[in-house]
Amino acid sequence: MSIRISKVTKRFGHIEAVKDVSLEIKTGEFFTLLGPSGCGKTTLLRSIAGFNQPEAGEIYFGDKRVDKISAHKRGIGMVFQNYAVFPHLTVYDNVAYGLKARKMQTDEIKPRVEKALQMVRLGGLENRLPNQLSGGQLQRVAIARALVIEPQVLLMDEPLSNLDAKLRVEMRGEIRELQRQMKITTIYVTHDQEEALSISDRIAVMNYGVVEQVGRPWEVYSTPVNRFVAGFIGTTNFFEGEGTGQEGLVRVGEVLLKVPRVIRPAGEKVFFAIRPEAFKVPEQIPDEERADLFRLQAKVAKVEYLGYMTKYDLELGKSLNAKMVSYDVLPENLRREGESLEVLYDPQRVLVY
Amino acid sequence: MKSSFWSLTTILIFIVFLFFMIVPVINLFTGSFQTEEGGRFSLENYHSFMKYPSYWRSFYHSVIIGLISAAGAIIVGVPLGFMVARWNVIGKPFIITLSTLPLMLPTFIAAFAWIILLGRGGVVTKYLEALGIQIGSIYGYPGMILVFVSQLYSYVFLMTLSAFRSIDESLEEASRSLGASPLRTFLKVSFPLVLPSILSGALLTFMSAIENFGVPMIIAQQTPNLVVKAYVEFTSEVGKHPGMAYTLSMVLVFITMASLIAQRYYLSKRNFIQAARGKPLVKQLSTGKRVAASAIIYAFLIFTLIPFFVALILSFMEMRGPIFVPKFSLQSYIYAFERSARPIFNTYFLATVATVVSVLIGVPTGYILTRRKSIYSNMLDVVIMLPFVIAGTILGIALITFFNKGWLVLTGTWMILALSYVIRKMPFIARSSASILYQLDPSLDEASISLGVSPMKTFYKVTFRLMMAGIVSGAILSWVTIISELSSTIVLQTPGWSTMTVEMYQGIISDDLGKAAAFASIMIISTIIPLIFVTKYFSKEQTPLL
Repeated sequence: MSIRISKVTKRFGHIEAVKDVSLEIKTGEFFTLLGPSGCGKTTLLRSIAGFNQPEAGEIYFGDKRVDKISAHKRGIGMVFQNYAVFPHLTVYDNVAYGLKARKMQTDEIKPRVEKALQMVRLGGLENRLPNQLSGGQLQRVAIARALVIEPQVLLMDEPLSNLDAKLRVEMRGEIRELQRQMKITTIYVTHDQEEALSISDRIAVMNYGVVEQVGRPWEVYSTPVNRFVAGFIGTTNFFEGEGTGQEGLVRVGEVLLKVPRVIRPAGEKVFFAIRPEAFKVPEQIPDEERADLFRLQAKVAKVEYLGYMTKYDLELGKSLNAKMVSYDVLPENLRREGESLEVLYDPQRVLVY
Repeated sequence: MKSSFWSLTTILIFIVFLFFMIVPVINLFTGSFQTEEGGRFSLENYHSFMKYPSYWRSFYHSVIIGLISAAGAIIVGVPLGFMVARWNVIGKPFIITLSTLPLMLPTFIAAFAWIILLGRGGVVTKYLEALGIQIGSIYGYPGMILVFVSQLYSYVFLMTLSAFRSIDESLEEASRSLGASPLRTFLKVSFPLVLPSILSGALLTFMSAIENFGVPMIIAQQTPNLVVKAYVEFTSEVGKHPGMAYTLSMVLVFITMASLIAQRYYLSKRNFIQAARGKPLVKQLSTGKRVAASAIIYAFLIFTLIPFFVALILSFMEMRGPIFVPKFSLQSYIYAFERSARPIFNTYFLATVATVVSVLIGVPTGYILTRRKSIYSNMLDVVIMLPFVIAGTILGIALITFFNKGWLVLTGTWMILALSYVIRKMPFIARSSASILYQLDPSLDEASISLGVSPMKTFYKVTFRLMMAGIVSGAILSWVTIISELSSTIVLQTPGWSTMTVEMYQGIISDDLGKAAAFASIMIISTIIPLIFVTKYFSKEQTPLL
């Protein structure tokens, strides 16, 4: 089931929570709405679910327009941030709830509930009450309950944000796996960019009710269309410099930096961004490749050694700092605080705004 | 779309309240501005109110008694609340249960019992006289204050208790770490934080005291308050002045409404939202101090319950004329059941009908207030506050006047009694339902809807089930308080539809004390058994009844 959202606007009083948003989601796609809190992602999801009524725009499931249809008739499955597992019903009755609502026969319900519970690895806990379950188990019940009705559209509202870090990583793998098996068109809301990158087919990055960029995970990461997306996804070094009149050369304070092609007149402001992992130290680069890279002198202001990677705070010039990360640094190559070093980067990886 | 069901329900509840409460009260209001004969506009009644001492003094009595009672409740309730919250006194749940009893039992039983003990010719009075000690008269102010403080202190006590319990421990620790002494910390941090709760409790005491009918009628006939005066003007067989009764009613409504608005205004500026992370520590007293503190608390609790023990004992004593003889006898009960079986049936019947209707209207109302917020739900919120500011007697006068003629005549039927109970108890059910709903996650409803269950069915399958325990205990508490309702019943009852409270009240004023004691005991039992059931099965602390 594909989903088409066309020029949807949702207001709360004078505040436009969602502004003129249009999206196309393909059948079987895992689509994520990503953004900081208050960006309108949950509001948009709830419009799709039918829990709020947009002031303008249309929502289609396949060819059918659904935005005027009641939530309970839209054929969705939804997983909520705080699980929303019915506390007065057993695990079994929670999962069977939607099937009973569809007037299904008991002998038909039972195997389906059991299969769904197997799928989320909760077999054997049918008769437990929710207060006897852990957070992770509760969320599995919620997922089984949403999947057992075989919805055409699965909506997930920050389903992992109440779980601890380790469980979160484990569960997101499971969710992705289940979604692939069942090929359900899924819209997933999160504010966690790493979660979004790891789980999604495509991501819509939202801010202040507007979709800033839609793309595959590597697209939004490596070619963010604007400063907001660049800053929100991953960490990045932002620089504010001015043109020099020479091709691809800008000045930040007393430091000259190379950026792709563009020529800016002297004095014109330029914003650009370089990811921390774009900075390299010479020993990481084979000799024959060094010629294409721009090199500059820097001083190590701070080192944070994390084992598999090392974070450096660099001083590129007077009050010009940048972050660099290096992976798999051998102890003998580890730079110390106060040490000078040569850093290289590929100007093609610099993003100019 | 999905909200059409709830819009319809909201409108229906509005109409019910508009027609059965607001219009009758407005009718009183306009009536107070009309001449007795003609029905022309006139300030005559208000003029008389200010001119004749017997009228304006009733205003004075109401306010003074209300204020002294509230002050007394603060003096008793605040230290008690502090001790139970912060010291390791013995048997806290038991203390809380005992303290709620006086609120549930009719105050006029207490007035009656104190007269038996301390009145002219009272048991204790005579005993002291024999020892040569004279106690002053209990009639009038002293008796009313004694009854109101000892029966209504719990409003302040329970509110203060929960406020002291909910102060975040770290606030007091922060104050101490900044160099403030324990006393300074109490005065500058803890006390200001609990003050809004203390004043809310005091307001409840004030309201209950000035709206009370039975106590002043029994113990203070020389200093009638507005309620008594309005009742007398309305029912008196010689020289009825319904217009004057309406005016006195409006004066009382003005006082209650003004104090409620004042309290709301005060609270709106002092909304201390407390995210209590650590509960305040309970101070571990040394054994001696612990026993002493507990003894003080229990002594006071027992003192407040003396009237009910007295009533129970008296009900099993033999009567000779109006005199109790210290001899065991079931005579009073036999008499009560033989002569007044009907009022007993009436009481239970009316309480049950009114409770069921209150639940049927109140639960959806609570739902609308929390989950279907709109301009209409806000209006509904205000409307269901109104019964709180309209004393039972005044509601009774309003209903009996309005439904006396026209196409819907209810005066003289049982329905008008049930109606007044519903109007007064439904807001309580609605409020307690709303407070349960505040704690229920709205996404439970949405989960159900997302699984294909319509909003209306969701309400019954999910929300209602989860509210069940709270609704049952709220219903039981309402039932219990309806049983002991006198102030509107006394106006609305007819010979065929008398209740236990009315019989008891008439027993007291006609010196038929054995019957009164027997009814008091039946009512005490009818109150205590359901309360034990509630505390046993729904152990969560109940907020005091509004």
